[in-house]
Amino acid sequence: MMKRNYFYLFVAAVAFIEVVIFSVSVDIVDPVPSVLAIILGILGIYFVRMHLDEVIEDERTQKITEITALRTLQISWVGLFLFALWIIIEALGEEFRHFNRPLGIFGFRLLAILAGIIVLYVALSIYYNKKYGV
Amino acid sequence: MKNKIKVYRAMHDLSQEALAQKMGVTRQTILAIEHGKYDPSLILAAKIAKLFNVRIDDVFLLDTLEE
Repeated sequence: MMKRNYFYLFVAAVAFIEVVIFSVSVDIVDPVPSVLAIILGILGIYFVRMHLDEVIEDERTQKITEITALRTLQISWVGLFLFALWIIIEALGEEFRHFNRPLGIFGFRLLAILAGIIVLYVALSIYYNKKYGV
Repeated sequence: MKNKIKVYRAMHDLSQEALAQKMGVTRQTILAIEHGKYDPSLILAAKIAKLFNVRIDDVFLLDTLEE
């Protein structure tokens, strides 16, 4: 069992270790240690959080998390969509005569990712509608 | 939604922290409920009422506009 403040210290220590491993990864030009460290770090934090002797998450914090996540998604989606449009218009150039290919490809890829996010959102929405619906 | 948690806490000599521990929530959640900033779930409301040995509508009251 662990107190809440020790848990936050543990999270800070994990974050510090992650940074160190990331810098080692960059030095040896190998992403594997970094990826493994992040996965292990998340699992470690999750495991320790389950064994806390104080409540740090309840229905109110879950509701706050839900609303925060939704607003973050909405704001970032609209922001990135406008950014993608801006990039594409810039890339097309004046009367399509000066098409900036790398910039244009980046803009269209960003649009594709945003479309993917909508598909994921709809799929999850259908899943949770079935789970909590009739 | 209005509530009388503070009154019942006083009657049972319970601090916010003690009530929070018994309910398995944070003290901030009890504080938010008492101040009317957060409406608890039906389960939490039922657990609070059960702890005080009263009915849910003895502790939680709908505002006139919400009825």
